Amino acid sequence: MTNAIHEIQDADCILITGSNTGESHPVLSYEVIRAVKKGASLIVIDPRKIGMTEHATLHLQPKPGQDIYLFMAMAHVIIREGWADMAFIEERTEEFEAFQQSVLEITPEVAALATGIPVAQIEKAARLYALGERQNGVSIYANGDGQARGHSSILYAMGITQRSNGTELVHMLANLAMLGGQIGKPSTGVNPLRGQSNVQGACDLGGLPDVLPGYQKVFDEPKRKAVAQKWGVDDLPAEVGLTVVEMSKAMSAGRIHAMYVMGENPLMSDPDSTHVEKAFRSLDFVVAQDIFLNETGLLAHVILPAASSLEKDGTFTNTERRVQLLNPILTPPGEAKPDWEIISALAEKFEEKMGRHRNVKWTYTSTAEIMDEAATVAPIYGGISHRRLQGDGLQWPCPTPDHPGTQYLHAGKFSRGLGKFFPIEVNLPYEQPDEEYPLILTTGRVLYHYHSGTMTRRSEGLDWRVPRGYVEVNPTDAEAIGLLDGGQVKIISRRGEVRTQARIGDRVPPGVVFLSFHWKEAPANILTHDIKLDPIAKIPEYKATTVRLENPKLKRTKKAKAR
Amino acid sequence: MITLTINGKTIHANPGEKVLDVALRHGIDIPHLCHHKDLLPSGSCRMCLVQVEGAAKPQTSCGMTVQDGMVIETDTEDIEAMRRDLIDLFVSDHPLTCVTCDKNGSCNLQDYAYRYNISETSFDFELSRPKYYDDNPFYIRDYQYCIMCGKCVRVCDEVVGANAIDFSQRGFETIISTPFDVPLAESACVFCGNCVQICPTAALLPRSKIGKGREWEMSRKQTICGYCGVGCTVEYALKGDKIIYAQGTPDGTVNGEFLCVKGRFGWDFVTSPDRLTTPLVRKDLAYELGLTDEPWEMPQTPVFKGKPKLSNYIPVSWEQAIDITATKLADVVKQHGSDAVGGLTSARCTNEENYLFQKFMRAGVGTNSVDHCARL
Repeated sequence: MTNAIHEIQDADCILITGSNTGESHPVLSYEVIRAVKKGASLIVIDPRKIGMTEHATLHLQPKPGQDIYLFMAMAHVIIREGWADMAFIEERTEEFEAFQQSVLEITPEVAALATGIPVAQIEKAARLYALGERQNGVSIYANGDGQARGHSSILYAMGITQRSNGTELVHMLANLAMLGGQIGKPSTGVNPLRGQSNVQGACDLGGLPDVLPGYQKVFDEPKRKAVAQKWGVDDLPAEVGLTVVEMSKAMSAGRIHAMYVMGENPLMSDPDSTHVEKAFRSLDFVVAQDIFLNETGLLAHVILPAASSLEKDGTFTNTERRVQLLNPILTPPGEAKPDWEIISALAEKFEEKMGRHRNVKWTYTSTAEIMDEAATVAPIYGGISHRRLQGDGLQWPCPTPDHPGTQYLHAGKFSRGLGKFFPIEVNLPYEQPDEEYPLILTTGRVLYHYHSGTMTRRSEGLDWRVPRGYVEVNPTDAEAIGLLDGGQVKIISRRGEVRTQARIGDRVPPGVVFLSFHWKEAPANILTHDIKLDPIAKIPEYKATTVRLENPKLKRTKKAKAR
Repeated sequence: MITLTINGKTIHANPGEKVLDVALRHGIDIPHLCHHKDLLPSGSCRMCLVQVEGAAKPQTSCGMTVQDGMVIETDTEDIEAMRRDLIDLFVSDHPLTCVTCDKNGSCNLQDYAYRYNISETSFDFELSRPKYYDDNPFYIRDYQYCIMCGKCVRVCDEVVGANAIDFSQRGFETIISTPFDVPLAESACVFCGNCVQICPTAALLPRSKIGKGREWEMSRKQTICGYCGVGCTVEYALKGDKIIYAQGTPDGTVNGEFLCVKGRFGWDFVTSPDRLTTPLVRKDLAYELGLTDEPWEMPQTPVFKGKPKLSNYIPVSWEQAIDITATKLADVVKQHGSDAVGGLTSARCTNEENYLFQKFMRAGVGTNSVDHCARL
């Protein structure tokens, strides 16, 4: 997030898009609720009638993939009506003209025709967001910065990024923020809500194929060499590695022969599970390090038992870049060990097996010692140490030991200097509904479960609340195949099929079905594809897969009749 | 800036602030039961009465906006007598079963009964709402202990936005209820348990706590929740080495006292009997390495059709497991090169572990093919 979580409740307008905030980030949604109760406007742009829409001033409901029209049309209106913050644009940004040109033809009328959303609603959304207009009450920013404009905050999540044009959509949201000058101030910004407890930290510390800790590109020679030197090696690989989806393709192609999987379950979470399973089965060696034997672990040759987050120390970095300390609550069961101790032992032994005698540090006495080393490698963590994290933790960038951390980014100046506008094109999802697969499947989460369900499905209460998977179907689509609420239904895509229970209602519009990916009995990712990834982020298009529904009961009756 | 006097002490406050909030911040303990700093004032418990100079009668301070020059007394004899009467009234329909009550030691009503030395009511005792609900695995509702402070209703509306409960019936029979008294699971309840957290009495209690120990027997430890990326602080109450219940804490950096259902109630997976407790080697590899005499072949049944089977593995020591893994990885690197190994690090492991994992992949194995589920 560019901004801090606690700033949200003071926002004048909040735009939520592609985030089921109430279910995926419940505690953060409390900030939104509090802002709305104080009079803020809430715009929700989402194909589903998610919980947050009950609190929304406006719910714009495009079909999956059509939202690009709405964002572009909003930008068009903001420019046309003179609601753009021209002073901000002139002083702080560049390449505005190219962007302006790109939205010239996407009038609200064009967007309305494409999405079915009335022009007036698009115009209203543009106005509320750009000017930060409240529904009632007084802005706490009314006098503060001498501007009439309220503060607007964009919250987004995987509904924006899990798309074949995800990067472009994020650029588009950044364009909107710059257009209204809604960035670099409290309660504004472009705020991605990160899904897992330490997904932010895993990225920050180099758990990505293209960057070293602190987002230093692997091909940036001076930076890479500096890290290599700190680690006591001559150099490090300079070529960008493979992303998780590319890895399974490389396994199938025989280029990857062994996998080390720590606390992940790609069989459930990666697109086209059938292919992922084949890929993993083709390997010479798989080691899985986890707290449970999950679906991926079943294909592993060696299983290493790990401690859970309640059984270890160290740090997590949350979605607002805040690095916070963990404290062990319990002792790990049996012989399970914290992951860092396992990696450390394995790395040491691996060096020996490779017959190397290098001076690379693999053994540490504590997680604090590891963080101290990481701080010397990742400049954004430069001032972070466990000692300093007592209390409220620190928000990076925190480059030096006396730096107080950074509550919100881009204040006064963008990290890159001038904020860059990106021209945008209308790009639609790779799979478009046709006669054979007329519906769009969108995947996501439910409140009571988490990812591949290995944890939550072993929690008595959570499992009681939602014990099995279900697909959300609009009554129109259900009626077409004689499907009843609670009835069994087959969801079929070009990759495969899953069978689950139908939950019929208007949470999804006609033509759209929703299935969460927590259920191994109905694994949503059997259906999804990895054919067209986002060209830059390499994210699969989980939010738009075309499918058809079949009513197994109906087929049986037909067959019975034929007999 | 506004200047006022409370109990003879000069105090500065911001315009719009409430007298109770300002007093509490300055360490002036005005009794209160229905007040919460993150909720709108309701004035229903009347305990925060104060005397403002020039006013005819005492007024509640939770909803009173500070004004310049205000002179306030918080504990005059009259006011203390009124508060004593209020507690006397509260316990006229609240059973003082403190000895067996699970809230004993953390009950606000008990604290005030102690302060005002009330061991039984001087009124006729009559239960107004003897209703008990045990309709979900997360928390129970025992309305004989309810004092109608309405904090549960307000947190559900003002913070969570679920609006699952409200006041129903009227007069003496007034009770907190779901619409038409349906079970919580059929209501809009999201089981976040924030109502349980801020309930001043035993009307709402986590189920996991009932009969499991007294408050003063429990130790408390805080850590960061392991679920989503919000990073809430969770406090665990433990008896010995067992978690009894989890709750938010007022000093939680990101979340204050509030949590969601997963953070508050979803911790029990940690002690699941399914936890992996020893390193394991799959039987085919174990046979290849001479660890077992029985040949074995990995079944070809698709993973989603089968069931996780620990019987496919044999337990080994950590030394063996690490040795086998290091040997296998080194063999692949020697034979096919560094890029023939891929690594998936974890969004659920710590920064330190992620740092070390990618260091191993890059400086040890020698590949940049390290990734995690950031995109999934």
